[in-house]
Amino acid sequence: MRETVALFRKHSFVLALLLTVALFVGNVIAQSSFASWSNVPDQLATFAPLAIAAAASMPAILSGNGGIDISIGPTMSLVNAVLVFSLFPHHVPAPLAIVIVLAISTAVGLVNGLMVGKLRYPPVVATLCMFFVLQGVILKIAPTARQASHNWTVDLGQSVGPIPGGLILIAAPVVVWLLLKLTPYVRALYSVGGNDAAAFSSGIQVTYVRLLAYALGGLFAGIGGIALTALVQSADPAFATEYTLLAIAAVSLGGTPIGGGRGGLTGTLLGAAVIYLLQTFLAAVNVSPNYTTGVYGLLLVGALVFGSLVTRGPRLGGAQ
Amino acid sequence: MKTDIAGARSERDLAGSVAAPGEPGADRGGLSPAEAGRRPLSSGLRVLRGAQERAPVAQLVVIIAIFIYGTATIDGFSSWSSVKSMLVLAALLGISAAGPTLVILIGGFDLAVPAYIAAAATMTTQLSGASHWPFVALAALIVALAALIGAATGWLCHRFKLEPLVVTLGTGAFITGAILVWTNGTADGAAPGWLSRFVSPAGHTLGLGIPPLIVMWIVLALVLIVGLRQTVTGRRIYATGMNPRAAEYAHVRTRRLWTGTFAVASALSGITGILLAGFAGGGDLTIGNPYLFQGLAAIIVGGVALGAIGSYGNTVIGALLLTVLTTILVGKGAGQAEQQILAGVLIALVVGIHGRERRVRDRV
Repeated sequence: MRETVALFRKHSFVLALLLTVALFVGNVIAQSSFASWSNVPDQLATFAPLAIAAAASMPAILSGNGGIDISIGPTMSLVNAVLVFSLFPHHVPAPLAIVIVLAISTAVGLVNGLMVGKLRYPPVVATLCMFFVLQGVILKIAPTARQASHNWTVDLGQSVGPIPGGLILIAAPVVVWLLLKLTPYVRALYSVGGNDAAAFSSGIQVTYVRLLAYALGGLFAGIGGIALTALVQSADPAFATEYTLLAIAAVSLGGTPIGGGRGGLTGTLLGAAVIYLLQTFLAAVNVSPNYTTGVYGLLLVGALVFGSLVTRGPRLGGAQ
Repeated sequence: MKTDIAGARSERDLAGSVAAPGEPGADRGGLSPAEAGRRPLSSGLRVLRGAQERAPVAQLVVIIAIFIYGTATIDGFSSWSSVKSMLVLAALLGISAAGPTLVILIGGFDLAVPAYIAAAATMTTQLSGASHWPFVALAALIVALAALIGAATGWLCHRFKLEPLVVTLGTGAFITGAILVWTNGTADGAAPGWLSRFVSPAGHTLGLGIPPLIVMWIVLALVLIVGLRQTVTGRRIYATGMNPRAAEYAHVRTRRLWTGTFAVASALSGITGILLAGFAGGGDLTIGNPYLFQGLAAIIVGGVALGAIGSYGNTVIGALLLTVLTTILVGKGAGQAEQQILAGVLIALVVGIHGRERRVRDRV
């Protein structure tokens, strides 16, 4: 028992891992075709936008001091709108289009980072402003929903050669994150998130670490926007808010506290997997989709309480 | 070290005065350590800043300026009927932001507001229109349910030290899910007719041409402002929001306070939903969506900030400012897109003046 608790304490993603495995097994039992290879590309393509949105929310949350990026959803939606309304109709080649949209989304993240890091806006406020501005811009670009013309993202929504497109999309932020782990940056990010004053005292450029965290979130959100486009093959200004909230939930389920400084990408992706697999499981056992939202809400609160119980013990009450 | 959203503020407030919590400028009153790093101000600027920290003066000036500009350039802008509809819209926004204001003052965050609003609007429509419940019964049920879920949220957050931001995400999903299961997503029936008249800009109060909703907003605002400022509970809310540990040492029962504040805030969101059902003639699950971020915008523009800064009066000013601004933009033919962009820029400007955090080097 004590070892189990110790395991939960050491690896905050264990709960998400257990839930993912349980729900995966549940899915396979409920619907044997779930794990068949022909089904995998579709599943991954549907999972990709949520997983990447969660990955995009993570750096800001890790950076601490109330770090959070509300504008992740609208950033994905902006990339989606730019692709469908501006780039596809002009048959912009894929590499150039990817560079353009990722540049846009990273720039959005940089502005967030400047406001939070340099200008010292509270993160909720800075990214809320960005949220409003982006929603306005999206409405300008895409006043109504529109179907995408035939384009290069169709393959990403299915398979590129033998590889599922969704896998490539999810791998992109993972590879970027792993490469960053080779640099001192990720370590600096965790120490800033844990205690920014202490990090500052030990010579870490707190401002720039934060700034980069938001830019990184923007970059990931850009990849998420491509994944969203590959999945839905249309643009709709209504996509904007949904992913922001789901992504924050996924990060939390994955064991990364909103306070920052702990957690990581493994847990975040597992947290997203829990939300996704829960949806497919409830659909597979013929529960009306109406129940999904409620069950997901209960699961989120339950997982938080459980995480708090095993990691911090029940005795801590009262003042913070 | 405390690292939640309110963290930065409450640490700053350790340096400030705990004796007079809730004064918007309490933590910046004297020469705090932060002051030492600032450029010296001329005495005129100092007076202005002092005034701004006590009341949202700049926001009031902006409202008046926009209003004069509107009167000068748009026909009928300052006619009584136009002012009435602006006030009604501001009242809906302001009442929807009342709950979140309380939650922010105590150091929390509420993302479940749209769910409470949508659930209450749907219940009002369904129970009154299709099931013919008497209004008093359904209103009591809605307020009781909302308060119960809110109390549970506040208690859970405090007991298990959970982030209210994420917990309310969960409770919001739970509420929406419950309503989905119950109604299949569409509510039958309509809100009672008298409720629609109550909320309508053309309504009358005691024979006077003032819409009852505006009277209700004024009463609510007075109760909240006086309650927060003059009652023991109100002062305890500020003490808890500013520095929960210090409040605990001062024998404030912070858990009870968190539970109660979330319950009242959720009940207020439920009441907003009932009113909106009357305003829109019916309710559905998306009716609350705009109010999450617009309400937050009103709170922030008005000058309420995390860590128990500001009061409901600030939110009222914020709601009025946003509504007058939107009305002008609509009058000038601006679309939804321009309104959103301007709202974003405006919040950035206002917070840039008064709401920025301290430098890390000043917090070492």
